[in-house]
Amino acid sequence: MSLVQYLKDKIFFLSLNFLIFICVAFFILYSNINLKIVVFIFIIWFFPIISYMSIDYIKNNKYFNDIYSLLENLDKKYLLPELLEDTEFLNGKILNDILKTVNRDMHEHIKVYEIKNQEYQEYVEMWVHEIKTPISSSKLIIKNNTNEITQKIDMQLNTIENFVEQVLYYSKSDNLEKDYLIKNINLDIVVKNIIKKNAKELILNKIKIETDCEDSFVYTDSKWLEFILNQIVINSIKYKKEENSYIKFYTKKDKDNIILFIEDNGIGIEDKDIDKVFEKGFTGENGRKYSKSTGMGLYICKKLCDKLGLKISLKSKKNEGVVVTIKFNILDYYYYR
Amino acid sequence: MENIILVEDDKILREELKIFLQKNGFNVQTPDNFETIVEYILENEPSLVLLDLNLPIYDGYHICRELRKKSNIPIIIVTSRNTDIDELIGINLGADDFITKPYNTQILLARIGALLKRSSLDNKKDNLLKYNDIELNLLNATIFYKGQNLELTKNEFKILCYLIENKGKIISRQDFIEYLWQTDFFVDDATLTVNITRLRKKLESIGIKDFIQTKRGLGYIVK
Repeated sequence: MSLVQYLKDKIFFLSLNFLIFICVAFFILYSNINLKIVVFIFIIWFFPIISYMSIDYIKNNKYFNDIYSLLENLDKKYLLPELLEDTEFLNGKILNDILKTVNRDMHEHIKVYEIKNQEYQEYVEMWVHEIKTPISSSKLIIKNNTNEITQKIDMQLNTIENFVEQVLYYSKSDNLEKDYLIKNINLDIVVKNIIKKNAKELILNKIKIETDCEDSFVYTDSKWLEFILNQIVINSIKYKKEENSYIKFYTKKDKDNIILFIEDNGIGIEDKDIDKVFEKGFTGENGRKYSKSTGMGLYICKKLCDKLGLKISLKSKKNEGVVVTIKFNILDYYYYR
Repeated sequence: MENIILVEDDKILREELKIFLQKNGFNVQTPDNFETIVEYILENEPSLVLLDLNLPIYDGYHICRELRKKSNIPIIIVTSRNTDIDELIGINLGADDFITKPYNTQILLARIGALLKRSSLDNKKDNLLKYNDIELNLLNATIFYKGQNLELTKNEFKILCYLIENKGKIISRQDFIEYLWQTDFFVDDATLTVNITRLRKKLESIGIKDFIQTKRGLGYIVK
């Protein structure tokens, strides 16, 4: 509250007083009373008014300044009412009370949504666990009755499994802090696990595999990393060229980092789409032309990488394949975001 | 033959897993009374228990704990719960291994095998595989035949072992490729042919002729 604002607010009161004073002054002067009396009356009249207004202004100003500086220093501004200090200033007291009541009600309101969200998430997790049973049963039935037809069904089941996994990670992606475990991981093993997981598809599509990830140990969560790599490999398979396709996995070390490269020679990504591949629900040119894509895979990957402190990026030219890189900083004291 | 008790409440899963394990040479019991399951296991003394966690009546963890009070029977927990916490709890309660559904059946077999080996003190027979006059040393990938030693590459050795382990059965190229991929050897069609040719040449060099036969259109076989 600036002085100017305050005075503007009181302008009617001040003008009225001044006007009446002028009238009184004229009356007194007209009655031949000494000018000194007029001055005296002026002082008695306006001294209380001015001192009262000064104190009032100072009290108001302090109250609002305090609140504004609190507000500036808070990044979660909705927490303001919790931090209000008690005050003797009456207007302030009342306002504080009102703010606290409104705040409490808003919290209740938000709590309703938080609970709904949590229940939904728990339901999804339960669903994922339940559905793993019929998937397992189907796979075992196939294993016990191997033939051309069941092999085709097996591959479809793999696709279903991938989507189920994606659902689980998507639903958990907002609060993954409940389920992660950092260990010293051998990238070579993780890469090979993912290759084996997708063996049927890779073999069927005659995609050549090369790996060169010896001696690459990083600290991260292996399950999340496997999920991320799986999404990347699924994409490489989906968008491969007709013939002579390959996927290469290799690592490079520099002073502070180990970088994992996943390179393929598929159909690549259009220039105009490259910056958007990690956006939620983005399908782009390839997604529309080549097959239905949910656009969620890379989005969840980016989210997981952000949480793990890994840098994921993608380079590509149309028809020249894609190179995905994941950077593991080996010097960072690990911290979870 | 080893005895396995499978503790799983889903009927289809139970039946199919039983068929699969039986095909792989195990004797399998599948009790469906989960009220008295602990007593059942203790009475029947299997070589190994496959335990699901989500059971009616008693939780898998409870059964594990109760079993461990009275026995050291090898227990593998098989479950769809796959958080690390579940695994930690399982191991702390005395389970020997932890596998999540949907199972990779080859991994399941491998782990059952490994666990059974560990618990029977029968270590000797691992390192040597014998076939007629040929001795395969699994530790250093060499063959011993009529006084001669032959060194093979890791991958050539894998191929040879797979053929011998399935002797009398025709193995298709597809089968071969899928098997080798599971052993971290990511071959394609051409590479497989090259490796088998090289393997044959090496075998011939120490006098093993016509060992690996090709059945046109079907695959390879070692009789």
